[in-house]
Amino acid sequence: MANLNFSLSSEATGRVYELLVCLAKFGETVAIEARGEKVRNTTVDVYSNLTRVQLTFTALNLSRTAYASFALDSRSFFINYEFQGSGAAKDGDRFTCQILNKALQSVFKGRANDSRGRESAVERCDVSVQDQPDKAECRLVVKMLCKHGMTKTYRLTYEPVEVMHALFDRTAASQGWKISARVLREYIEYFGPKTEQLDLLAAEGKAIFTSFTEKVQDGKEVLKQPLETAISLHTEDFEDFHMQENMHIVISVKDFKAIVTHADTLRTTINAHFSFPTRPLQFSYQSFGIYCEFTLMTTGDYRGASSTPNPNFVTNRSSSRQPSTTPAVAPSRSASEMPPPARPVPNKPPPASQSQRLSLKESMRQAPATRPETDPHPDSLFMPGGDDQVWNPPNYDEEEEMLGWDANNEDPSANFHPTFRDSGSAAQSSRGVQPSAHASQEGLEPTQRLSQLHGMFD
Amino acid sequence: MAASPLLSAVTSSSRQLLLLLRCISFAKKAQVRISPEGIRISIDEGSIMEAFVFLEKALFTTYKYQTPQPRSAQDDSSDPPVFEISMTALLEILNIFSLSDPTTSSKRPGFSNEPYDANTAHRLHRHAGLNAFSNTTLGITGTCSLTYEGEGSPLSIHMSESDVTTTCDLTTYTADSTEEIPFNRDHLALKTIIRSANLLDSITELSSLNPAEITIQATPNPSRPSGANFTFTASGPLGSANVEFTQDTSSDTPILETFFCPTKTEASFKFSLIKAAQRAMASATKVSLRLDEEGVLSLQFLVEMEVGGVVAGQGGGVAFVDFRVVPLVDDERGNGVEDGSSDEEM
Repeated sequence: MANLNFSLSSEATGRVYELLVCLAKFGETVAIEARGEKVRNTTVDVYSNLTRVQLTFTALNLSRTAYASFALDSRSFFINYEFQGSGAAKDGDRFTCQILNKALQSVFKGRANDSRGRESAVERCDVSVQDQPDKAECRLVVKMLCKHGMTKTYRLTYEPVEVMHALFDRTAASQGWKISARVLREYIEYFGPKTEQLDLLAAEGKAIFTSFTEKVQDGKEVLKQPLETAISLHTEDFEDFHMQENMHIVISVKDFKAIVTHADTLRTTINAHFSFPTRPLQFSYQSFGIYCEFTLMTTGDYRGASSTPNPNFVTNRSSSRQPSTTPAVAPSRSASEMPPPARPVPNKPPPASQSQRLSLKESMRQAPATRPETDPHPDSLFMPGGDDQVWNPPNYDEEEEMLGWDANNEDPSANFHPTFRDSGSAAQSSRGVQPSAHASQEGLEPTQRLSQLHGMFD
Repeated sequence: MAASPLLSAVTSSSRQLLLLLRCISFAKKAQVRISPEGIRISIDEGSIMEAFVFLEKALFTTYKYQTPQPRSAQDDSSDPPVFEISMTALLEILNIFSLSDPTTSSKRPGFSNEPYDANTAHRLHRHAGLNAFSNTTLGITGTCSLTYEGEGSPLSIHMSESDVTTTCDLTTYTADSTEEIPFNRDHLALKTIIRSANLLDSITELSSLNPAEITIQATPNPSRPSGANFTFTASGPLGSANVEFTQDTSSDTPILETFFCPTKTEASFKFSLIKAAQRAMASATKVSLRLDEEGVLSLQFLVEMEVGGVVAGQGGGVAFVDFRVVPLVDDERGNGVEDGSSDEEM
């Protein structure tokens, strides 16, 4: 029995449509989460600038490798925003639901360009949730108030669901770049429509974006034609650039295009945060009271990144800003733990293993009471606490990262993103933990399993 | 057979005819009725919907109508001839030059998807030269003449543009039935005039729900806080939606230009039928929406015709496209008049 009401200006209505278009690239449904002010995390954390955010639109793709989130600031985005959760829930004020993106898009469509002064331009958009016990139907009611006395009302069915969020640990992601969306927007046009993957590489003072498709053949029939487009950008075009040289991080072209296209509509700059291949990458940007975050799972040449004892960084950061990057102690991996293949790697780990890896942690997981930036693995048996390397962020590079799931909404530490953690709890592998212990761990890193599989086939 | 044809009409703006006929192009057969005042072309969909457009005499530069010879001593001599032709064929003929017409394609960019072929190149080249008497200079993009000799003969359409002429003979068929959907214009339950764009907008909004039917409700004294006088409602698997119009607005140009509704009324229609009028909604500027006491819907679209050229100047003005739709009848809705307040929330 939640009570959620908010109003949007005509510009904001257009922005909602734009974000829905972007979300549609990630999933068929949109999860909406409204939060009351009470559950705000009082502690100061990296998301402190987001604590006012109260309405989020999220989508997670089918293979659960990409997560998109748009958080709308209750004070700057809306004309007015009221939310009162059901007092009964012990976890505080929260309302979550899921709606087909198609349905929402058809409601908000065509409002983006009010500027041409259409007669039926929307003056205000009122949204409320009809979730009262005295009404037979639960509906999300969207009311578009137009000029000259026309009103369009939509009553959409919704599905109450638990919303899953991806948690991204930015402290572990020491590398990244920042660039104007407008610049990137010009270049993404060149990525062929049939290419699937995008390789990010830094080399010789340049950032190289390569879109590619691996050739797939079934007998004599060519199912997918190989195609590669490489775009080099000088690091000077970036407002900030810091990436290990010759490291390949591979994400999906489609996701990247969707993100850049949307970021460009907000006329903003995109931030990328990442650490190493096979660990999550995050794009984020904000404007007009919309905070956008995209957490994508990456593949790529892991060996190239981790086997280099003293990695060189392509950077335009001043040296004082450069974090200490070389791991103090880099325990060499045993041969069995080496991620198997090398060069045609970008496609490996194959999609199957990737989704498997993610689904492994679908089991509910008690979220730790501590926040990730102080202790990323509170429930880990091998807490890095006793290790002085804990303050050395690059130490993470020997730890496989996991997208962990957490649908637990009682998480007291719930800051803006309470769930679906980037837990990195598999750090133990390189420290000689016997494989049996891993079976009970929620987080098995892919390299470990691949090597085990390798053993099985031997 | 008479020496002179029964009908001989010439127009310099076949595009205008095409524009009008496209509004009612939802069925394959069209019924044509020729009268001294003009040509009435009507379309019928399973006797639950019909549409007609009246091509007024003034739309043609010349319009000659020869009263048919009485077939016998009987008194049917003054009856205007009625026959059926293929609507799709008629539209194709009228469209034959449109695709390559440079003026058309520049005006409606999305319209021309014809490749740039040699014929087009030739025509463009020809028109590139400045000729005081060329059709483009005169604002005439070609002429179209309609000839009908009399009962049993084909309707022959002669199109010419620059040096290219096309003649088509459309086989005429005996009309099935000349019955019309009765609409009682003396006992109206609702009459309102709105801008056609607003109606189109409403229908487009509702069609996103993929509904089976649409309900029109009107009330003279709105009770709800929104103060809606006039509402379209539809529901589909994803939810329901309505578009409301109110008289009570501070705007200088209220959305309901006129609104007449003596008592609360409601009627439902098959959504696909209303949707068939979308092209008319897009072409027209205003629409008069009426419901009679039986719930029959009449949509009368006012289409503003461009003044085609010097000669056709007198023809420039307005044309009307009419739609009539029979309501869905079920136990609750009855005749749609004096409906109880029970399903106000529908």
